[in-house]
Amino acid sequence: MNIEQRFQQISQSNFETPDGDSFIAKLHGERQKRHVKKMGIINGVTAAAFVAVFGLMTTNQLTDDPAAYASNDLKPLEIMDSETEEYVYDLAEYLVENSDDIWETLAFLDNIEFEPVTTMHEGGIQ
Amino acid sequence: MKTDHELIREFQDGNKASFDELVKRHLPDTYGFFIKFTADKVEAEDLVQDVFIKMFKALKKFRFESEFKTYLFRANVNMSNTYLRRNKWRNLLHLDQAPEQGYMDTSYEDEWRKKELWDGVAKLPSRQRMVVTMRIAQEMPYKEISHIMGISENSAKVNYHHAVKALKEKLQN
Repeated sequence: MNIEQRFQQISQSNFETPDGDSFIAKLHGERQKRHVKKMGIINGVTAAAFVAVFGLMTTNQLTDDPAAYASNDLKPLEIMDSETEEYVYDLAEYLVENSDDIWETLAFLDNIEFEPVTTMHEGGIQ
Repeated sequence: MKTDHELIREFQDGNKASFDELVKRHLPDTYGFFIKFTADKVEAEDLVQDVFIKMFKALKKFRFESEFKTYLFRANVNMSNTYLRRNKWRNLLHLDQAPEQGYMDTSYEDEWRKKELWDGVAKLPSRQRMVVTMRIAQEMPYKEISHIMGISENSAKVNYHHAVKALKEKLQN
């Protein structure tokens, strides 16, 4: 007996082929199961990628300068309604006209960062 | 009776029943190949199932450049290589379950030698492994092997010769 015949004898197996119809039914069942699993993985990865991209975009919009947030957060407080604005201007005019020391009054307005005074300092008193 | 190519064309046109007919037609050969390989009914059936699930996807792009039988056989050989690689690790992890030589009855010894044979096949270089698989498990002529592998008949014979020499040494040891 040559080696090839010996190999064939060793690997010889008596077998009965599975029933075609039940095999096909199982095959399609398994195929569907794998398809559903695959779609689940794809959906999961897509969702994770979306969250990652969205998170990255949001993070990129942040800045290291805290003043940027402070100025943004305080911005609404700087806006006065016209009535308050008129009152503040009248008050400032009154203080300037009735003060004994105009320079002291201007320094006070400068300290509270009253805008027209700042402008005056930058452009000179007219 | 419709040819394999006709069935594949119908399947590509959306007729799933043609695929089922193709499976039924090639089930005995494919199962026969894997049962010799694994000597385990459940594992053989799982491998056949894996091959046909892959076929279901692959046949939608089949280009009719070769016979379906050749195409299927290539898929079987690839699947058996995957199985051998997977089994190599499984055997390494279950070494304690291997039967002791010398305390075996004849049928057990046959099983042991069969296991040894396929372990030896798993360790062969890729080309030799494919040739020897086709010769041992399918008893295929060299002409068909050379056609499937896209090599010359002489190259198939030389690869088989080297493979058998290596396996013989292993089994004699």
